[in-house]
Amino acid sequence: MVLENQDNRNLWEKIGDYFSANSIWMKWYCTGCGAIELPPTMTSRFDMERLGMGPMATPRQADVMLITGYLSTKTLRRVIYSYEQMQDPKYIVAFGSCTINGGVYYDSYATINQLDKYIPVDLYIAGCMPRPEAVMNAFADLISMIKKGQANGWRHYQENYEWYKKNQLDSLEEVIIHDEFHE
Amino acid sequence: MTFITVLITLLALSVVTYLVSLINNKLGAYFTIVTSLVTLLLLFLLKNSIGQLASISLFTFKLTTVGWYFSMVMVVVYFTSAFLNPFWMKKMIYPAAYNLFYLVSLIGTIGMFFARDFITLFIFWETVVWTSTFIIQMGKSRKSSYVYYVVSAIGSMVTLFAMMLVYQVSGTLEISVAFNALTGQPVLALIVFFTFLLAGLSKIGIFPFHVWLPMAHGSAPHTFSPVLSGGLVKMGAFIAYISVSAFAAYEAFSSSFTIMGIPAPIYIIMVLGAISIVVGTVMAIRQDDAKKLLAYSSVANGGYILIGILLFDQLAFAGGMLHLVSHAIASATAFITIAIVAHRTGTTKMSKLGGMIHKMPITYTVYLIAIISMAGIPPMGGFVSKWLILQGLADHGLLFIAAAAFFGSIGSFMYVFRPLSAVFLGQLAPKHENVKEASIMMQIPMYLLTIATLLIGVFPKIILKVIAGIQAEAGIQEIVMVGNTIVVANGVLDTFRVFVVFGYGFLIALVIFILRRKSRRVTLMDTYTSAEFVHTPELLHYSSNFYAPFERLTKKPYPVLNLYEKVSIKIKEIGHMAESLFSSPKPAVTIFWIIIVFAIFFLGGVL
Amino acid sequence: MTVMNFVYGFIILLAAFIFQTTITGFNRKVTARIQKRYGPRWYQQFLDIFKALRKSSITHGWIFDFGVIMALGGIMATVIFIPVAGFEAFPNMDNVYIISYLLAIGMLGMAMSAAGSGNPWASIGVSRALTNMLAYDIPLMIVIFTLIFAFDTASVSEIAAMQQGMGILGWNAIRMPLGGIVAFIALFGMLGKKPFDSFIAPAEIASGPMVEYGGKHLGFMFILHELMTFIEVSLILNLFFGGGSSILVYAIKYAILYTLVNIISQVMPRYKIDQAVKFFYRVPLVFAIIQGLVVIFLGWGVSVWF
Repeated sequence: MVLENQDNRNLWEKIGDYFSANSIWMKWYCTGCGAIELPPTMTSRFDMERLGMGPMATPRQADVMLITGYLSTKTLRRVIYSYEQMQDPKYIVAFGSCTINGGVYYDSYATINQLDKYIPVDLYIAGCMPRPEAVMNAFADLISMIKKGQANGWRHYQENYEWYKKNQLDSLEEVIIHDEFHE
Repeated sequence: MTFITVLITLLALSVVTYLVSLINNKLGAYFTIVTSLVTLLLLFLLKNSIGQLASISLFTFKLTTVGWYFSMVMVVVYFTSAFLNPFWMKKMIYPAAYNLFYLVSLIGTIGMFFARDFITLFIFWETVVWTSTFIIQMGKSRKSSYVYYVVSAIGSMVTLFAMMLVYQVSGTLEISVAFNALTGQPVLALIVFFTFLLAGLSKIGIFPFHVWLPMAHGSAPHTFSPVLSGGLVKMGAFIAYISVSAFAAYEAFSSSFTIMGIPAPIYIIMVLGAISIVVGTVMAIRQDDAKKLLAYSSVANGGYILIGILLFDQLAFAGGMLHLVSHAIASATAFITIAIVAHRTGTTKMSKLGGMIHKMPITYTVYLIAIISMAGIPPMGGFVSKWLILQGLADHGLLFIAAAAFFGSIGSFMYVFRPLSAVFLGQLAPKHENVKEASIMMQIPMYLLTIATLLIGVFPKIILKVIAGIQAEAGIQEIVMVGNTIVVANGVLDTFRVFVVFGYGFLIALVIFILRRKSRRVTLMDTYTSAEFVHTPELLHYSSNFYAPFERLTKKPYPVLNLYEKVSIKIKEIGHMAESLFSSPKPAVTIFWIIIVFAIFFLGGVL
Repeated sequence: MTVMNFVYGFIILLAAFIFQTTITGFNRKVTARIQKRYGPRWYQQFLDIFKALRKSSITHGWIFDFGVIMALGGIMATVIFIPVAGFEAFPNMDNVYIISYLLAIGMLGMAMSAAGSGNPWASIGVSRALTNMLAYDIPLMIVIFTLIFAFDTASVSEIAAMQQGMGILGWNAIRMPLGGIVAFIALFGMLGKKPFDSFIAPAEIASGPMVEYGGKHLGFMFILHELMTFIEVSLILNLFFGGGSSILVYAIKYAILYTLVNIISQVMPRYKIDQAVKFFYRVPLVFAIIQGLVVIFLGWGVSVWF
């Protein structure tokens, strides 16, 4: 998916994007194997706090959600739930080949193959798994994208909500009984 | 207008109320509102005739500032909670009797506060005890009214003993004179002090007599609980006041061992007050029933009032007297709001409620202001009184009592927050989806009391003027106010300024809030659950075991209750033994024992 | 009470916010250095707050908003009453009880708003925070009570002024060493620093009371946290470490005190909440009572040394 590349932000939005770019709070959705690359990225070897990034406890507080690897259909439902609880502007960074094309699980009945059919991914990090160097590089890219106003996935999600919902429904199917055991 | 006219008018009105209630009990309940309003107005008019003496047959009265002060508090509480009476008439077994007792107990309190001699004091005291016993019985459980009656009876009988003792020594029953005969007799003074105070201690719920409070408050009819906690408990404070003013405990024990300038006997009672603050606070934190929680908080606040009054100085005494009013109003408000919640939902158990704010926002706001006052947070009434007490304690250097006071005041944040969170905030259970806000009639007392709390908090001068009058009457240094500022030896407090600056801060925050983007409204269930789908609001409501770590820490068995239970079992056993001896099926055995008893009796007389 | 009082109050507010936020940013760097990291920029905390204010937000009903406003309002009012190096926006309003109880209205507002979100974690966090408060506040209040008894005043600025002129020996923390230790330990509890931070434990209860805040509500909470830190550190600094004779001295002492607390807390594990209560009632409470008895009955450390 090609994100729009025209800069029609006003001054306030530019200032706001400057703040957003320099203070990124993360929510890790760490059901995949890539989560293990994040502790070294955070701690003294690579120290992502230099970029103003830090982990946060809940999606309400977070700016960026990290999807660190494959997603089963069961967890996808929860990713969508969490994503919709996040506050605008919000970004998604997807880790590894599994989120791009399914990776080694490309033919599994239980996982999804392409994440950006279901939620708007601002940035992919290729690799299986991406090492901290790649992760740091990606974060630097994310920051420059936000500064330029190019990380507009959340806006895209709002504008094409029906398309995303349809994809989600096709893959997950509708839940008829709403209780703790069926969703 | 004389006091006797007032008393007879009230008595006549209460009889009229009873007769009306027999025909239509709801109308009778409205009559209780009118009668208590009339009482309020008449009492207010009596302010000008302070110093008046009055008597009718055996009873003699003297209008004093302190009596006026106490009875005004009492009538305000009676008047405001009377607004709830019409809604509970259907639930009462004997509605007409309830209305009658409600008013008679009011008359009893007024008569007691203005009593000039011991007999009047005692008879009116007992009137209140009896009428309230019958009212408590109309609530949830009978046992609680027995406990209430037994504790009250022990207290009042011991006090009667003290009165008789004083009468024997002095030959007069007049309260202000009789105690003078005790000067120079320290042992007798000691006995009289402790025995006389006992009725007061048992009434105000001081440890170890506090057991009746949660039982009686918890199971009394919802309309009477505000009166019990806001009003009747304060009768004990009046006895405490007599024991330091008319009895002049400080002079009587001036030669005894002193602790930081406080004579040991008074210090002991103050320590009891401190213990009841701690016990009341710890137990209140552990309760699940909102009414019991508030009842235990009354125990704790009773401790503050007692300590304040017993210190009998410029500072802490004013604090104790002011706390009497601010707690009476705050506690009555809290009980009224809980009563309304119970009326709408049918339960006072906190674990079964939740999210009431979305259905009863006015009730919530009123409860919020009441608890801010009860926890002693500015700018409400409770803060001023607690401030005075704490400053007074610091002035005296009473470290351990101050430690208990600090514990009680921080602990009160915990226990007042629990109903706020568990009853009013949190998730709304689907079964309460159709709960309605309190009706206009129920809202009237809430508005009145809330305004009173705010007024005391922002302009404490209104009440402190009267307290200064009481202090002048009792012959101690008066509390000083310069403009709106309370000036004491070790600090100044301008509550109006605190209020204004709080308003200023609130305004700045509000402006920033409004300037930012408007928030999107989401449902209560759309909340962070670690991405788990939860569809049962009850599961997402945190209300039982609210302070689990603290409850774990205070899990020790409750020794006083156990002791009381053991004592009551023993007494019952002795009773059974006596019963089995005297009422055996064979008449010969009974007669034998009666002869034995008589024989011992006569022999004892001879020996 | 004139308009100037309110202007001064606003200046104090603004200065307190900017100063404390800078110190926090600086301390994030200190923390990073302790962990052998480079750390964020010194103005990172400002960026975080403004970014949070910039974002969109949700609300769970009027109490969710009202509580946040009430919390910040109450805390702002408390900041206005704090005397800084003898400067007071509203003279004679720096009574220690007013400050410590007005602080509570902010906490109540925050607790109310958090519980109003309907999230159980928020309620658990609040219940822990209140229990924590019951733990640290009683030893601290007893020591403060001792100070009021000893100096016969409850005014924070007067107590601060009394300690000046004798150098380090005039400080209450030195004159009443046990009381000083209690106050220093209680500062950890007040600030919610490790080992007493179980009420915001992010990994356990998802940051407790803060769980549902996003956007401007979270920004409010951050501002509130900075101001609350300012109040608490200032209170301890004024009461036990001599305040400051000039703004500069005050600022330096403040920075040192806060940094010291931060450094110590960085190498601490976390107490469970009942362990925290037990700790406070075992060590600091006993210290506080001994200090109180020493001052009240022996009079040591009040006017002269021994």
